[in-house]
Amino acid sequence: MSPQEHTAEAGDHDSRTFAYLVVAGILAFLTAFEVWVSYVHALQPVLVPLLVVLSGAKFALVVLFYMHLHYDSWAFSGIFLPGLALAASVVIVLVGLMVRFFAGF
Amino acid sequence: MVALPKHIEAEESYLHGGGILSWLTTIDHKRIAVLYGVTVLFFFLAGGIEALLMRIQLARPDNTFLSAYLYNEMFTMHGTTMIFLVVMPAGLGFFANFVVPLQIGARDVAFPRLNALSYWIFLFGAIVLNVGWLYNMAPDAGWFGYANLTESYYSPGLNINLWTLGLLISGVGSVLAGINLLTTVINMRAPGMTFMRLPLFVWSMMVMFVLILVAFPPLTVGLIFLAMDRFFGTHFYRVVAGATPLLWQHLFWLFGHPEVYIMALPAFGIISEITPTFSRKPLYGYPAMAYSTALIGFLSYGVWAHHMFAVGMGPAADSAFALTSMLIAIPTGIKIFSWIATMWGGDLKMKTPLMYAIAFVIQFTMGGLSGIMHAQPPVDLQQTDSYFVVAHFHYVLFGGTAFALLGGLYYWWPKITGRLLNEKLGRLQFWTMVVGFNLTFFPMHLLGAEGMPRRIYRFSPHMGWDSVNLLCTIGAFIMAASVAILLINILLTMRDGELAGPDPWDGRGLEWKIPSPPPAYNFSTIPIVRSRDQFWHDKYGYESGVVPPAPLPAHENEDSGHIHMPAPSIYPLLLALGITMAVVGMLDWLRVALCGAALTLFCAIAMAFEYREAGSENPEAVGIFTGLDNRKVGVWSFIASESLFFASLIATYLVYKGRDLGGPTAETILEMPLVIGTTFILLMSSVTMVLAQEGYRRGDRTWGLRWLFLTIFFGSVFLAGQVFEFHTFYTEGMSLGTNLFSQTFYTMVGFHGAHVAIGVIILLSLVGASFTDWFKERHRDIAVECAALYWHFVDIVWIVIFSIVYLMRSIAKA
Repeated sequence: MSPQEHTAEAGDHDSRTFAYLVVAGILAFLTAFEVWVSYVHALQPVLVPLLVVLSGAKFALVVLFYMHLHYDSWAFSGIFLPGLALAASVVIVLVGLMVRFFAGF
Repeated sequence: MVALPKHIEAEESYLHGGGILSWLTTIDHKRIAVLYGVTVLFFFLAGGIEALLMRIQLARPDNTFLSAYLYNEMFTMHGTTMIFLVVMPAGLGFFANFVVPLQIGARDVAFPRLNALSYWIFLFGAIVLNVGWLYNMAPDAGWFGYANLTESYYSPGLNINLWTLGLLISGVGSVLAGINLLTTVINMRAPGMTFMRLPLFVWSMMVMFVLILVAFPPLTVGLIFLAMDRFFGTHFYRVVAGATPLLWQHLFWLFGHPEVYIMALPAFGIISEITPTFSRKPLYGYPAMAYSTALIGFLSYGVWAHHMFAVGMGPAADSAFALTSMLIAIPTGIKIFSWIATMWGGDLKMKTPLMYAIAFVIQFTMGGLSGIMHAQPPVDLQQTDSYFVVAHFHYVLFGGTAFALLGGLYYWWPKITGRLLNEKLGRLQFWTMVVGFNLTFFPMHLLGAEGMPRRIYRFSPHMGWDSVNLLCTIGAFIMAASVAILLINILLTMRDGELAGPDPWDGRGLEWKIPSPPPAYNFSTIPIVRSRDQFWHDKYGYESGVVPPAPLPAHENEDSGHIHMPAPSIYPLLLALGITMAVVGMLDWLRVALCGAALTLFCAIAMAFEYREAGSENPEAVGIFTGLDNRKVGVWSFIASESLFFASLIATYLVYKGRDLGGPTAETILEMPLVIGTTFILLMSSVTMVLAQEGYRRGDRTWGLRWLFLTIFFGSVFLAGQVFEFHTFYTEGMSLGTNLFSQTFYTMVGFHGAHVAIGVIILLSLVGASFTDWFKERHRDIAVECAALYWHFVDIVWIVIFSIVYLMRSIAKA
C-alpha cells in the first residue's frame, strides 16, 4: 500500500468513526423524542404515524451506517430490501385481512 | 476435529473411495445430492405405499380394509411425505445440489458444511415425522393441519406433536439450504456467467431459493404457536380465548402457496433444459422465460388466500386474491408457449426425458386450467374439499412436477452415475406411468363434480361412485408397476449399464463438459463463459454472421493437478443431531433437550472455527465472480429471511392486540422506565459493535476487543433487564397463557431476547478466538463483520418492537 493510499484509508477510517458517533447521537435523540411524544396527550391522534416515521428513521440510520448498506455493494441492498418490503407487506395485509374479519367486514 | 484442505488428484470420481464414514462426513455437494436422492426415493416409496393403501380402501364401497383412524394417518402422511420429504427435497436437495454448481462452473456450493448440515437436519426431521408409525401414532390431521383440530383438546396424542416438531426441524434444513444455494448462484458463478447467461434451470432454482427464504418463516411462526399451544398452555388458535383458528390458515398458506411454486419451479427448470437439448435448438424466448420465472415467484407470494375463499373473507379480499391468482396464469402461459415453440420445428430426439417433458407440458396445462377454475370464488365454493381439488393438484404436482422430476432423473442420471438408464425400460416405464396417472386422477374430476368429498374413508354403495373409484385404484396400481420398472431399470444398469461418457445427449450446459461421473472438484479449470449455451458454442461454433466475443484472460485457478478442496467434517451430522435432540426434548424430556442444546452449542462453535489453519484458502471465504464475500451474502440472505419471521410475530401481536377477554393489557402492565433504559443500552451496543468491527478491520485487535467486551456487556444488561421484566410480570400474575396479550408479548419479545442471547454467544466465541492466532489469517475480520450484521439486525428489530409494543401501548386496537 502506497503512503497516499495509507493516508486515504486512515482518513476514511476517521470520517467513518465520526459518522458512527454522530449517528449514535441522533439515535439517542430520536429515542428520547419518541418516548416524549408517547407521553404527550395532545399528540395521541397522530401518535401512530409519528412513531412509524421516527422508528423508521432510526431503522434506516442503523441499516445505512452500522450495517454499512450506505458504503457497501448494492448487491446487499438488493438482497435485504425486497425481504424487508415483503415483511412490511405481510404485516399490513395480514393485519388488514384479520381486522376486517374480526369486524365482520 | 481439525479440518484441513486436502489435495485431490485429478480425474478422481466423486463416487470413488471411502466407506460409510466418508458418506457421514462428506461435504461434497454431489455426494450430498446422492444422499438426498436416496432419502427422497425411500420416502417416495413410503408415500406411494400410503397412497396405494388408501386406494385399496376406496376400491369398493363400505370397505373395511383400513379403519377411519388409520385412513386419517394415511392421507395426512401421504401429503406430508410427498410434499415435504419427496418433491421439495428432490428439487432443492437432489437436483439443485447436484446440477446448479456444475451448471454455473463452480467447484462446490458456497458453504459446503452448511450443505451437509441441511441434509442431516432434513433427515432427522423426516425421521421425527415418521417415528409415530412405530407407536400407531402417526400424524392424522391432514397435511395442512388446520387449527383447531390440531389443538391438544381435539388431538391429544403424540401424533400432532411429532408433525409439528418434525416440520419445524426439517424447515430449518430447508432454509439453510436455500441460503446456501442462493449465495452459490449469486457469488460462485464462473467468470463471464452473467445473470442473462444463466441456464434456465439455475434461474428457476434461484427464484425457488428466494421463495424458500420468504415462505418458510410464516410457517415456522405458525408451528411455534401450535407447539406453544400444545406444550405451554397458550391459546393462539382458540376461539374461547378470543383468538381465531383463521390465523393458522393465513400463516400456513402464506407458506403453502409459494410452496406450490417451490415444488413447481425446479420442474420448469428441468423442462427448460430437456426441451432445447432434445430439440437441438436454443430455448425459445430466453429473456421472457427468465422474467416470467421471476414474476411467478413474485406473484406466488400474493395469492395465498385463494385457498381460503370458503372461510368468508369478504368480497374485497376474495376479489383481490382471485385477480392475483388469475394473473399468475400469464407468466405460466409464457413458459408453456416457449417450451412448445422450442420443440416446434426442432430435430426432435424422442428419448425418455423428452417424452416426460411433453407429458409434463400437456398434464401441467390441464392442472393449470382447473386451477384457473378454482381461482374464481363462486366456482371454488362448489369445488372446495371435493375430489375435483384432489384431481387438480395431482395434475399439477404429479402430472406436472413429478413427471418433470422423472424426466430430469433420466436426463441427469448419466452425469450422476456415469451410466445410461435402459431406454426400452424407460419408454415402458413412461407409458405405464402416463396410463396409470391419467387413469387414477382424471376420473377424480368426475367424482368431485358428482360431490364426492375429500378425506372420506368410505362411501355408501348408493352414491354411484363405485366403478369410478375402482378405476382410480386400478390406475394407482399401474403407477406402482411403473415405479417398479424404474427401480428395476436402476438396479440393472447400475453396474452393467451402457457407459455414458461426458456428453451423452449432446447437451448445452457446462455440466456436460466434464467427465461422468464428475471428479470431486468438478472443473479442473474454472470455465470462462462468453455466451449463453457456452458449451454448445464450444462444440459447434457460432452461427454465421455472429462474431464471437473476445476471450477473457485465463483464470488464475488453472492448475488442474493441485486443487484445494475442503476436508470432510463430522460436525454437520453432530450439530443436526443436537438440534433435533433440543427440539424433540420438548416432548417432556428435559434432559434430552438440555443435552441437545449443549451439543448444538459445542458443534456450532467447533464448526465455526474448524478451518484453523486453512486461512484464506477456506472456500467459504472466497467469492469468485462478484468480489463479494460468501459469508456476507449468506448473512444478508439470512437477515432477509428473519425479517419475515419477525414480521409474522409482529403481525400476530397487532392482530390480537385489544382482543383479550380479560387480564392485563399493554397499557396496564408495561413498566416504561426500565425498558427505556435497556433500549438505550441496546442501541448503544450497536455503536460499540461497529467500533469493534472497525478495530478488527484495521487489524487492531486490542481496540476491537475493548469494544467487543463492551458490546457483550451491553447485550447482557439488556437481557438481564428482560429477565427482570418477565419475572416481575409473572409475579404480578401474568403467565404465558393468561390472555392474548401475554402470549403474543412473551413470544415476540422472548424470541427477540433469544436472538440477543445467541448474539452474545457469537461475540463471546469471537473474543475467545481473539486470544488465539485464528485472526492472523487473511479475511478473518469478515467473521466480526458478519456477527456485527446479525447484532445490528437484532437491534433494528428491537427498534420496531419498542415502538409497537411499548410506545404504542395506549393504542387500543390495530
